[in-house]
Order: sequence, then C-alpha cells, then structure tokens
Amino acid sequence: MSVTHDEVRRIARLAELDVSDDALPLLAEQMSRILEYVAQINAVAASEGVKPFVPGPDAVRFRPDEVKPWPLAFGPAELAPAFRDGFFLVPKLGQFDQAEG
Amino acid sequence: MAGAWETVIGLETHVQLRTLSKMFCGCSAAFGAPPNSNVCPVCLGLPGALPVPNEQALKLAVRAALGLGCTVHPRSVFARKNYFYPDLPKGYQISQFEQPLATAGSLSYLSPDRGIATAAIQRLHVEEDAGKSLHDRFPKQTAIDLNRCGVPLIEIVTGPDFRSPQEARAYLLTLKQVLEYAGASDCDMEKGSLRVDANVSVRRAGETALGTKTEVKNINSFAYVEKALTVERDRQIALLEGGGKVEQQTMLYDAKTNSVRPQRSKEESHDYRYFPDPDLPPLVLHPDFIEEQRAALPELPATKRERFTAQYALGVDEAAVLTADRAVADYYEAVVHAGAEPKAAANWVRTEVLADAKDHREALRVPASSLAQIISLVKGGTLSHQAAKRVFGEVAERGGEPRNVAEALGLVQVADTGMVAGWVSEVLGTYVTEVSRYKSGETRLLQFFVGQVMKASRGKADPKLAQRVLEEKLAS
Amino acid sequence: MSDPSEALASAKAAADRIVKVKRLNACLTPIKELRKSLVAQASAAHPSGVLYGMPVAVKDNICTLEFTTSCGSKILEGYRSPYDATAVAKLKAAGALIAGKTNCDEFGMGSSTEHSAYGRSLHPFDKTRVPGGSSGGSAALVAAGSVPAALGSETGGSVRQPASLCGVVGIKPTYGRVSRYGLVAFGSSLDQIGVLGRSVHDAARVLSVISGRDPKDATCEDRDSLRLPNVPESLQGFVIGVPKEYLPQDLDPAVRRACDRAIRLLRELGAAVREVSLPHTAYAVATYYIIAPAEASSNLARYDGARYGPRFNGSEDVRALYRATRGEGFGPEVRRRVLVGTYVLSSGYYDAYYRKAQQMRALIAQDFRNVFDRGVDLLFTPTTPTPAFKAGEKLNDPVAMYLSDIFTVTANLAGLPAISLPIGRIKGLPIGGQLIGQAFLDDEMLEAAYALERAVPPGEEA
Repeated sequence: MSVTHDEVRRIARLAELDVSDDALPLLAEQMSRILEYVAQINAVAASEGVKPFVPGPDAVRFRPDEVKPWPLAFGPAELAPAFRDGFFLVPKLGQFDQAEG
Repeated sequence: MAGAWETVIGLETHVQLRTLSKMFCGCSAAFGAPPNSNVCPVCLGLPGALPVPNEQALKLAVRAALGLGCTVHPRSVFARKNYFYPDLPKGYQISQFEQPLATAGSLSYLSPDRGIATAAIQRLHVEEDAGKSLHDRFPKQTAIDLNRCGVPLIEIVTGPDFRSPQEARAYLLTLKQVLEYAGASDCDMEKGSLRVDANVSVRRAGETALGTKTEVKNINSFAYVEKALTVERDRQIALLEGGGKVEQQTMLYDAKTNSVRPQRSKEESHDYRYFPDPDLPPLVLHPDFIEEQRAALPELPATKRERFTAQYALGVDEAAVLTADRAVADYYEAVVHAGAEPKAAANWVRTEVLADAKDHREALRVPASSLAQIISLVKGGTLSHQAAKRVFGEVAERGGEPRNVAEALGLVQVADTGMVAGWVSEVLGTYVTEVSRYKSGETRLLQFFVGQVMKASRGKADPKLAQRVLEEKLAS
Repeated sequence: MSDPSEALASAKAAADRIVKVKRLNACLTPIKELRKSLVAQASAAHPSGVLYGMPVAVKDNICTLEFTTSCGSKILEGYRSPYDATAVAKLKAAGALIAGKTNCDEFGMGSSTEHSAYGRSLHPFDKTRVPGGSSGGSAALVAAGSVPAALGSETGGSVRQPASLCGVVGIKPTYGRVSRYGLVAFGSSLDQIGVLGRSVHDAARVLSVISGRDPKDATCEDRDSLRLPNVPESLQGFVIGVPKEYLPQDLDPAVRRACDRAIRLLRELGAAVREVSLPHTAYAVATYYIIAPAEASSNLARYDGARYGPRFNGSEDVRALYRATRGEGFGPEVRRRVLVGTYVLSSGYYDAYYRKAQQMRALIAQDFRNVFDRGVDLLFTPTTPTPAFKAGEKLNDPVAMYLSDIFTVTANLAGLPAISLPIGRIKGLPIGGQLIGQAFLDDEMLEAAYALERAVPPGEEA
C-alpha cells in the first residue's frame, strides 16, 4: 500500500508542516514502508469486537472547583517570542478571519 | 415568496458554566480580567502540562442536561478535537465525541407560528473554551488573550427542528431561561457566555428531504439571531429561485451591514481526527451524583408558570412575566408569603419592581416584606396608590420601614371623617353650579369633585373616603 | 550525607565528573551553568531528605526550572520551563541535586539518540557506537560513572533499551505509578518517567522518591510511593516465565547465551522457571507504531512558534509561521511520525489503523494477564536483540530502527513494570536482561532484580 505524493501533501497540510518538494519522494516512500509494516495487524481477525485497552485509572478523578492554579514561576511575557500590552502576538491570519471548529 | 418555501434550522449553542475555576485547571474562570492574567501551564498549553477535570463543571452540566430532559450517561469519554488556530494553544480542544455526557432531551417553547413547539436536544456534552483572538488591535498582527481558554462549556445540539428565525430565537430565550433557573449559566450573549451557531437550509413546502445546509456563525445577540437567520434564508431562497444551488459552506454574519458572507477558505473542510483523550480516564458518574443534581434542580419555568396561574389566580401572560426570571419569581412569592394579596402583588412586581430593577442593574431593591407592607397600607386606605409609589421609590433609594417613611414624607392619608367632611364642604361650596348639574343627572361629575377634594387637601385625603362623604352629602 | 559541606562536595565532584566525559555529548547543559547551579542547589537542598546531596541527571524532555528543556529538538531550543515536573519537585524535596539535562532523541522518538538536534551521544565504551535511545544521554552518563542515577522516559522502551546497551540498570514503573506532569508528552497512554542507575538499589531509591499520587495528573494512580523491598536471600517461591516468542530461533546466539546463563542463575536462586507463550507478540511493534505516532501527532500540535520557543521564518501570516516553524523545527524522524500519526487518525483510516491498534493492544495485554493468572509471578526476557549497534547503521530504514524495540514495547502497551539489568558482555559490549512484572507489583519485580543482580557476573563474556 503506497502513499502518494498528493496524500503526503494533504497530510502535511492537516499537520501544518512544511514539506519541501525534494523531500517529498523519500518521505512518501518511508511513510509507505511504515504504513505497510503496521498494516499487518489487520491480519488478526480475533481483535474484532474486543474492547480497547488503556492502562491507568478506570475512572477520572475530579478537581474541586477552587481558584488555585498550578505554579508558574514566570508568565506569558517572559515566555512569548512576541508580546505587547499583555497579548501574545502572531502574524495575522491571511486566509481565515473567523474561528474554526 | 417565503410562503412557497419551508425553512429548516438547527442550532448549536455553546454555554459557559458558572464555575469559579476553569474546566481542566485551577485558573479563575472570571470574565473581564487583564489579558493573559488567568493562565497556568495547563491552559497555556505548555510542554508537559496535563488536564484535570473540574467537579462543579460536571455537576452543572448534569443539572443542565436533566433540566433539558436528557438521558445522562453514567459513562462518557473525553475526546480530542484536533485543529490549528492561534487561540487554541494545545492544537486541540478537549471535548466529547462518540460517547457524550447526555443525549435524547427536548425543550418546549412558545413558537410564534405554531403554539407550543418542541425541539429535540440531540446531545449535550462538556468541553473547554478557546481563548480570544483580536484581529484589529494591532496592524498586521493578531493579538491573543488566553484568559478564556479552558473555561467550561456545554455544547447543546438540537435537531433540524425550527421552521423560522423567530422560532429559533424563541427557543434560545427559553433555553436561556431554563439554564438560568438551573443555575448552570448566566447565558449572557454580550459577555459571550452563550454563543450560537445555526444550520440553515430551505426546501419547497411539502418536500421531506432536507436541502443543502449552510452554517451561520458570528451571531452576537438574541436580536441578531432572528436577523441573521432571516438574511441567510432569504439568500438561499433567492439563489434557488434564480436557478442556482446552495453550496455547503460557513457563512459569517455581519451585524453592521445585516448581511452574510462566506468564510473565505481555500482549505478542505476540517478533519478533526477525534480520538479519546489519553490524558483523561473515562468520565464515570455514580447514580448518586446524578440524582443529587436532579434534586438540586429547582422548579423549572414552565412548571412554575402553570403553578402561578393556578395557585395565585393569575393570567398566563402575568404568570409568564413573573416567572421569566427566577429571582423575580422567588421575590414575588416572598411578597405574597409576607401577606400581600396575590393579584395586587403581581401588579406591583410587574410594574414598579421590574421598572426599578431595570434601572438598577436588575437589583430588587425593596425587600419583599416592605413591599407587602406598602400593599397593605394601600389596601387599608392609609396610602393612596400615588403616595404608595412615592414611598416605594423612597424605600428603594434609602431603605426604611414603609409606615415610617410615609409619615416622614407626610403622605399618610387623612382618613379622619371630620377633616374630609370639611374639605368636601369647602369644595361643594365653591362649585355650586357643578353641584346643580350633578343633581340634575351628570353623575360623572363625582370624579371632578373627588379631584377637587384631593386638591384642597393637597393629596392627603383618602380618595375613597372623600368619594363616600361626597356621595352622602350630594345625596342629601 | 547529612550536612551542607558534604552536599557541596558532592555537587562539585559531580560537575567535575560530568566535565570529564564531555566528549560523550551526553549532558546538554553548558558546564559553567551546571557547576554554578549545582553549588547553589547544594546549599538550598533539604538535609533530611533521603536523597540528600545525590546528583541526579534529568532527561531533556522533563521540565525543570533549572537549565533548558529542549527535548533534543530545535523547536524548543532555549526554552526554559516556568515549572518543575512533579518528579523533579519530589527529587528536590528529597534533597537531590539536579545534575543537568541529558541528550535524547527528539521528543523521545528514536532508539539511538542519533535523532537529537544537538548531535548524537556516544557509547561510553565505543565512540563509534550508539548508547541507545531515546534516553541515551542519561544512560551514557550513568554508565560513565558521572552520576549514580538519572531520570529518563519510556514510551516504547527508551529507558530499558539504552540501559541494556550501556550496561546499567533501567526501570520502567507500572503506568500510573509516577506522575507525568512535566514529562513532555509523546505517547500519553504509553509514556512514563523511568530511572537509570548504576545499580538496582540506586535506581530503585530514586524511583521510590519520584513515585506516588499527584493531583496534577489524572492518569496517575492514587497510591503511596513505591516501597522498597529488602534484598531477598533466595528466589524460593518465585515462578518466572520465559515467553518463547522472546527467544526466537534467529536471536543473536551470544544474546541467547547470556539469557540462558541468567535463567540458569535464576534457577540456582530457587525460582521455578517455565516456558510460557504470549501469542500476539509478533504484532506488538506494529501496534505500537500506530498508537504512539497517533498520540504524538496530537501532543506535538502545540509546537508552532506562537507562544513560546523560537520562531522560524514565514511571517506573512500565521499559517506560514506554523508550517515553517514545524517544518524546520522538527527533525526528520519526528516529522515522519507526526505525519504517520496524522494519517492513521484521519477520516477514512481511523478504523483500520487506530481503532484496530487499540483492540490489538487489548489482546497483547490479555496475553500477559493470562500468563500471570496461571501462577507466574514475573517474566524474564532479553532486553534488546543485539548489543550497541554502530552509529548510522539503522538510519536509512526507519522500520529497522523500530525493530530494536521488539522486546520492550509490550510492557508499555500493557502498562506493566519492567527492568533491565546487565547480564553479560558480548565482545566487550554490555547486554541486558529484562524482568517484566505484574501491574503495581513493581516491588516484587525489584526483589527478583536485586537477587539476579547479585548473582550475575555482568562483566563476563556470554
């Protein structure tokens, strides 16, 4: 099962990752190799209808509704690459002017 | 030409829950703080941070779900909704997908077109809010404030059950009322604690298949709900009548121009790649937890309205006004409980109390017991209705016991028959012509005489007593 | 150690020892900063803490207030965390000294520490070879004798595998035993902080301190910290299973010999050893390489240059910023895994890949439960199929690299505790053997490890 160059481009767009044109062929080949390898699990029919397993607690524990934030030694102003008047700054959205989702 | 077409609308409402802290971290969820001041590693999406859910948020979500008649599922799962946007720090939103908290509810509301209508609530689930992006604050930049990021939300999705923009608005106002009653949210569209996206399609009247729908976003008030949906409906109808096709897309409403335009997007529609959030074990609610929330639900608006009409002999509209707001309904009952006659209390609350509240940030300034006192002073003849309104205003502004306030203001009516008789004689002596006319049959002049007695007494005479004395004297 | 002068001496000595092995490129912290910090920490440390004065190095993907947390990646170059991971806070509360950040494969993705943006780390005994990964820096530093213990992290074996290749002890606790708050997430349902140490005791002491409940991590179990068992006289009463799928016909004969010797020693210690089967083992690597990249693709979505970390060119609009930052800031292995992960979660592929892998995972976990339910206490297996390989040997074929995790990923998939300890040498290179325990019976596993460690001559050729 091969991943086409177009599919790699589409996935790269979904993942917001630049992939240069000359990196594309090798990447497509490697992804194909990996996906081919992992697809072998489909050979196992016995897993139909099995409940997924995830380790950890069976039920989530809650936090009380208190204003007690976890510690932060310094804040956004020191973390941000671009910050003004209390706001994080990013270059403006070119194609999108409204919230997604 | 709207008559030949049927409009089909479904609504997705996001409601902020009234908690102190955020959904997955202990930051304050309060509105209005300086930008990026209510933040921590979790809601900033810093490397290594992890979510831990807020118990009160779940309680309020369950309460809301029960208030909307939903089935609350004892086991539900948090899922990640993956997409990129500047105000979404983790690059995903923690929400619920295949196994939401609640499904299969309904909400009845008064449709302007077809009486009592019922909207199906397909699902209600819990999720976290995103931050705020401001596109116009700085040139060429987007400013991001993450205070709102992580505030608890419930998303409420209806079926395609509304047949007009007016119905959509009526449903939303009813939804707001129920959620306020349940104490889940203050549902303030201006503050953003209630947000609406709508799915709109049209079809020829009589058709059963649904037309292509568009999503309408950026609707910022209840009034704009009706306007935005009307504009989009009309756009679709015009398009179809002109032989065109409705494209499935997202439309943004612009309140300034009262128009909609497509959200420009060269990208394909979103693939959110939902999967169960591995940082959060399943949400398992003990039956006691759910029952506690059911017990915490107050009497809901519809039930209270029906009870008011029956118990207090009020008309449907009166009862509706009194139960629109839970605080007002409780206040009204406190006034009645303090001894006021229900009908009179209803009148006072509907007029003076609500007018005063409107000018004073919804505060019910006059204590219920004081209002009950005022009402009884009027009933007993100690105060005229006019005087009572003045006393009400005074108590609202400066407090005090109504009886004392009335005396201090010199508003206590004179019910002394002798004094009233004196004024009556004075008036009848002055208006001899009118007296003759009255005795010849113009009985409506009685009110004129009453007015003159009130004038002579500088408003202090008890008008009912004055009228009685006048009638007696004129009869003789 | 009980007084500040001893702690100070320990701090200075640790700095000296770390400088001495600079050439290994195991420690990423500049030596001046490291020395200064160690001295300052020594005076501030809690003298009554059980680890007072002990220098512990920390893998670069675990958040510390000291030094940077760059996860071996350019995308977090220079990033300083404004909070300590819970495990780090617990170390400090116990009086330990944070002895620098260690090199690793970027975001934990790799098995050789060749996928670090800061250069590869060298095997302490042979500079042409890799120390393993992704916790290669921590393993190398411990193997070189610079620190008695170091924190690492596991998603598919990244503590045990380098422990085996470097000849040190590496412990992965039961999933949920140690808080993940502050561990930069790679595969959330698989990740655990683990410990590398020069002996079982050193590693276990540190593990005990960092383990236990944490309200900041919803996947951390509400349990007390791990209790340390006593060193047992014998392993009488222990039933140890050897899964036949882990000793395949084509296993390197030298590795086979080392394992056989260890098994013989276990018998001599009084344990009953029997062959068992974990039938779905063959699918473990494939299952892992669906689940881990999928979770990673989501966990790494936050790295976009917007709120922290460096920005890469592409400032016309915010999408360009994201794409350039992520395109350039992530190395090729991370890019591959993020893309594969995005693919297996995407619409149309989710059921065939991700959902199926989660079901496969359940079968693998069930295999272990079946064996443990039949009276087996622990399992013994090789840790790695070979000793340390040459740098560059596995870089051309990603799947070849993935197969070096073949014996370790199952414990991560099943959430079970596992430990690797040195069981011999192969042409002078260390090789490890692994014990896998039952969920939350980490202490039983450690008991057996103590006994085996005492019996095995680790420096002997297999």
